[in-house]
Amino acid sequence: MEKIGLYLGCNIPLKAPDIEQSIRQILPPLGVEPVDLEGAACCPAWGTAPSFDLDTWCAVSSRNITLAEEQGLDIMTGCNSCFGVLSEAKHFMEDGERRRTVNQKLAKINRSFEGTSDIYHIAHVLHKKVGMEKIREGLKFDLGGLKIAVQTGCHSLWPSDVYAVKEENPYQPTILKDLCEATGAEVPHYSRLGACCGMGGMRSTDMEKSLKLFKEKLVSIKEETDADMIVTTCSSCFLQFDMSQPILRERGEIDFEPLPTFYYTQLLALAMGCDPSQVAALSQIDRSAIIARIQDEQRLIKEVA
Amino acid sequence: MLVEQKKIDEAVATIIGFGGTGILNCVQCGACSAVCPGVKAGFPLLCRNLIRSLLNGQLEEIIEDSSSWGCQACNRCTEVCPQGVRPQEVVFAFRRYQANELAFSTSAVTSQMNLYETGHAVFTDPKELRRQVGLPEVPPTSAFNKQAQEEIQALIDNGPMGELGLF
Amino acid sequence: MAKVGVYVCHCGSNIAGVIDVSAVRDYAETLPDVVIARKDLFMCSDSGQEMVKQDVRDGLVDRVVVAACTPRTHEPIFRAAIEKAGLNKYLFEMANIRDQASWVHGHDHEGATEKAKLVVASAVGKARHLEPLEDKFVDVTDAALVIGGGIGGISAALELANMGHKTFLVEKTPSIGGVMAQLDKTFPTNDCSACILTPMMVDAYNHPNIETLTYSEVDDVSGYIGNFSVKIRRKQAYVDWDKCTGCGDCAAKCPAKTPDEFNAGLSDRRAAFIMFPQAVPKKAVIDMDACINCGGREIGSEPKLNKKTGAPILAPCEKACPADAINRSLPLDPGGRIKEVEVGSIVVATGYQVMDKGWFKEMAPDSPNVITALQLERIISATGPTEGKLLRPSDNQKPKTITFVSCMGSRDANFHTYCSRFCCMYMIKQARLLKEKYPELVINMHFIDVRTAGKDYDEYYTGARRMGINFFKGKVGGLEMLPEDKLRVLAYDMESAESIEYASDLVVLATAVELPEDAQGLAQKLGLQFCGSNFFRELHPKLGPVETSTEGLFLAGCCQGPKDIPDTVSQAKGAAAAAAVPLAQGRVKIEPIISEIIPENCSGCGICVPLCPYDAIAMSEWAGTARAAIEMSACKGCGVCTSACPSGAIVLHGYEEDQIFAQIAALTSGGRNHAG
Repeated sequence: MEKIGLYLGCNIPLKAPDIEQSIRQILPPLGVEPVDLEGAACCPAWGTAPSFDLDTWCAVSSRNITLAEEQGLDIMTGCNSCFGVLSEAKHFMEDGERRRTVNQKLAKINRSFEGTSDIYHIAHVLHKKVGMEKIREGLKFDLGGLKIAVQTGCHSLWPSDVYAVKEENPYQPTILKDLCEATGAEVPHYSRLGACCGMGGMRSTDMEKSLKLFKEKLVSIKEETDADMIVTTCSSCFLQFDMSQPILRERGEIDFEPLPTFYYTQLLALAMGCDPSQVAALSQIDRSAIIARIQDEQRLIKEVA
Repeated sequence: MLVEQKKIDEAVATIIGFGGTGILNCVQCGACSAVCPGVKAGFPLLCRNLIRSLLNGQLEEIIEDSSSWGCQACNRCTEVCPQGVRPQEVVFAFRRYQANELAFSTSAVTSQMNLYETGHAVFTDPKELRRQVGLPEVPPTSAFNKQAQEEIQALIDNGPMGELGLF
Repeated sequence: MAKVGVYVCHCGSNIAGVIDVSAVRDYAETLPDVVIARKDLFMCSDSGQEMVKQDVRDGLVDRVVVAACTPRTHEPIFRAAIEKAGLNKYLFEMANIRDQASWVHGHDHEGATEKAKLVVASAVGKARHLEPLEDKFVDVTDAALVIGGGIGGISAALELANMGHKTFLVEKTPSIGGVMAQLDKTFPTNDCSACILTPMMVDAYNHPNIETLTYSEVDDVSGYIGNFSVKIRRKQAYVDWDKCTGCGDCAAKCPAKTPDEFNAGLSDRRAAFIMFPQAVPKKAVIDMDACINCGGREIGSEPKLNKKTGAPILAPCEKACPADAINRSLPLDPGGRIKEVEVGSIVVATGYQVMDKGWFKEMAPDSPNVITALQLERIISATGPTEGKLLRPSDNQKPKTITFVSCMGSRDANFHTYCSRFCCMYMIKQARLLKEKYPELVINMHFIDVRTAGKDYDEYYTGARRMGINFFKGKVGGLEMLPEDKLRVLAYDMESAESIEYASDLVVLATAVELPEDAQGLAQKLGLQFCGSNFFRELHPKLGPVETSTEGLFLAGCCQGPKDIPDTVSQAKGAAAAAAVPLAQGRVKIEPIISEIIPENCSGCGICVPLCPYDAIAMSEWAGTARAAIEMSACKGCGVCTSACPSGAIVLHGYEEDQIFAQIAALTSGGRNHAG
C-alpha cells in the first residue's frame, strides 16, 4: 500500500472532521495509506504569516513540509488553500538565499528543509495515483442519473508554475469532473466554472462583496446545470457554499432551495457505502434527502459473478 | 496629484523589499484586473490599479485602504500576466507594508493570536464534533501539542511578526 | 619601422561623456612606433577624415589607427579615406572604444578610460605589423532568386525582372499570392486585396524575365555572392501541369476531404484541389497525405479492370480530368524532382504565420466561436467559406455582438515580447468593414494600447470611433463558455478602473505574427541568423535593413520582422535594388581578408576540409602530393582552418600570427606595454 503524509490543515480537523473521516475511510480500500503528520500546524493561511513576512511564511510552511520529509513521504492536503500556500512556499524555497535564511530559522527548532517531498492535493492522489478504474471498482452505489456541479477552487489551479502536480488547462479543469464522473454521475459544464466563490480574505474583509460574487457563481450553476448537488475539492469553498446559500435564501436573493454541497471524498465515501453519520454529518444545508438518493438500494452495484 | 520621483522610488523600493519584486515589469495592460475576483467585487485598489497607485508614488496615501485584505490570493492574476509581474505578490507586499505599520483591521488580529497560541489560524474546540463522527477527540495536529506550538512560537518570535506586540 | 598615426574620436558625448579622450590620446603617443596621436569631436566627419588624409599625404604616417566606434559601420569610411590619400586601405585598424568601453562601462569613467587605452594599445600593436593587401574580383551570374511568393516576393521579383535580370520566383504552395491573397480588404484605403494583388500575380507569372516555380522549395544552396548554386525541389503534384487547364473537375469529383489551409481551416477542401479561384498558376495538385486511394488502388499502380468489359477502372480524379493530366498509374517520384539554377543574388521573402488559438488556454480555444483574425478575414471575404457573409462557425447564424482581442501572444513574455505591429490596424479595418455592412452589429474592441503609427492610420482609427465602434483600453483576461455557444468576455476598462463582463457571439483573437515552423530549416540551408525575436536577422537594424551577414543574401517582408503591406512592399523593392547591385556590376569584390594555404608547409592531413563552414577547402594535387587548397571566392575569412591547422600552414591575411600576438601582448600588459 502506498503511504502518503496526510496534512489536515485547520478547517478539516477542527470544523469539518466528517471530511477528515471520509478521507481516512476511502483511502485504504483504494490502496493508499494516509500517515499522520504529528504536530502539523496551519499552512499558514494567507491572512496570517504570508500577510506579514515572507520568511516567516516560508518557515512555518517549511516546518510542516519537514514533518513529511522526516518520514520520507510526499504530502497530501485536503484543503485547497493549504495546497496553494505550501506549494508557493516550496517554490520560494527554490531561491538559494531564501532557503539559507529560512533554514537558519528552522535550525533553532532543530529542523531543516530539504525540498524532498512533493505537494499533492487529495484530488491529485485520487486522479493520478489511484486512477478512475480503481475508484469505479470500489463503488457500492452507482450515481448514474445524478447531476453534479463541480467547484475546483482557485488554489489548485493558479499559478500553474508553482505546482508540481496540476491540471492540463487550469481554465478548463477536468480532474474533479473526471473524479465525479467516475461515480457514474453527470457533470455538466457551467460558464462560471473557474470563478472564485468569494470565501477567504474577501469574506472576512467585506461580507457583502463576497456574497455578491458567490451569488453570481451560484446562479450560473443553478440556471445552466440545474444540478442535484455541488461537489468541491476545496474545504473553504465547501464552507462558502454551505454557509452562504441559506443566507441568500433567507434574504430572498435566490428563489431556489440551497443546493446540498459535499467535499469530494464525502461523496465518494457515500458512494462506497460509508456511514453518512460519520462521513457526511456536518452541514448547514440539510443533505439527508440527497444522501438517501445516493445510497438508494436501487443504485447498489451488483457483484459480477 | 504631483509626480514626485522621490516618492515613486520609495514606494517601489518598499514593495520590492516586501516581495513584490516584479512591480517594474508592469506595463499596465490590465489583464490581472480583468480576472481578479476582488476587482470584480468592487475593491478599488487591487492588481493593476494598486500597481498604478504605487508607481505614482502613492504609498502612505493609500495605507488605510482595505482592498489588499480583500485579495483572495487566488493568483489568477499571476497566471494571466503577460509580463511576469506576479501581481498577487505586489498586493501581498503592500499588505505586508500595511501590516508592519499596523494598518489592518482588528478582526485580523484573532487569527494571528490563534496561530501563535494553537498553531491553527482557524481554531475552535473540535472535541465534540470529532467524537460525533467517530474520530479521536484530539487531532494529530498542533492543536493540543505543546511542543509543536512552541516550535511555531519560536518561528514567529524570530521574525518581524514577533515585533508587532500582538502576542 | 612603421609610422603609426592614432586618431581618437569623441563621438560627441558617446565616448567623451565617459572616457577621458585626452588621456587616451596622451597614452597613445607613448606607444611604440606611434608618431602622431590626435583627437577630434567626430573623426568620421569631413574635417576628421581630412586630418587623417593630410597626415598620410604629408608622409607622416603609413599605418592608421582610429579609436572610435564599430568597424561594422565605420571601417569602410576610413579605409576609403586613406586609400584616397594614397595609402593601401588595409593598413588601417579600428579600436572600438565606444562599444567595448564607453557604452558598457558608463558607470565607471576611470575604468572605461583605462580599458580604452588597452583597446588602443592592442590596435596599435596589430597596426605595426599590418601588410598591404589587394582586393580581388570574380564574375557574377546575372540572375536572381526570390524565395517566397507573397506580396514581398512578388514585388522583389518584378523589380529585379524590370531591371532586366533573370529572376526565379520560388513558392512552396501551389500558387503565388501569400497571405495577402487570403485577405478581404486592405487598410487604410479599404481597397480589395485580390483586386490589387491578382494583377501583380499575373504580371509576375507572365513576365519574360521571371520563371515562377510554385509548389517548390529550396533544397540546397551553395556558393557565394555572384555565384550561388541552388537546388530547387519541385514537389510532386501528381498532376501534369503542362496539361492541366485549371478547370477544377478533379477537385469536384474527389471524395477525400481535409481542412482547407486557404480558408484557415474553416472549411474543407478535397485531396485533389486548386488552391483558390484566382490561383496563379491555376493548376491542380493531389495532396497525397489526404488522398484516400479510391478503390484501394495505391498511387503508381495499374488500375483494376472491369470484369465484363475489361476496361480499366479509373479513379474519380483521373476520370474527371478532360485534359488527361492525371494518370495514377505512372511511377511518379513522391519526392518530386530537383531543378538546379545558378544565381548571383538571393532575396528571402518567406513571410510569416499567425499563432494558433490553441496556445491561449484562457481564451476558451475549444469554442468554435473563438477564431483568429485571419479566420475572420476568410469569413468576410467573398471567396471565403460563407461567401463574405458574417456567420459564426458554431451555427452559421449572424452574430449580434462581436469582440476583438488584441495582443494575443504579442507583447507577452510567455510567447513573444515584441509588438506584431499590424494587428491594431487590421482589427480596426475588420471592425470598420463589418460596421459599414451591418450597422446594428455591436463591436467591442479591447486593446492594451491602440498603435496606429503610419500614414493615414490614426485618421482611420479615429474614424472608427466616429462610426460607433466601442474601444476599451485593457487586456482581456479570459473567456467563459456560455450556453448557446456564446462567450462571456472577462475584460477590464482601464479608464474607469472597472472590470467588464458581457456575453459575445463571436470573439476574434489577434494572434501574434511569427516565423513559420519550416523557417528553421531554410535558415540552415542559407546560413541565415535569427534575431532576438526569432525572425531572420538583418545586417544592421538601421543601415543594413535588407542585407544579411552573408553577402548576396537579402531579406524582405515579415521574415525579417512583422510589417504591414506598405512596409513589406517598400522593403521588397529595397531588397531588389540591393540584390541587383552585384548583378549590375557584373563582378564582385572579394576582400583579401581570407585564408591562404602555404603548400610547402601543408602536410596534406585534411583536417581543415570538413571544418570549413563554407565548403571552401578541398584537397588538390601540388607537386605530386595531396595538399589542401582554398577556393578564394568561397572563403569568408572566419579563421577556423587557420587555428585548426596542426602544421601552421594556413595564413589568415589581415589576422596573421604576429599581428594577433601583438594584440594579445598589448591587452595583457596592463597598459604598461611599450615593448615590441
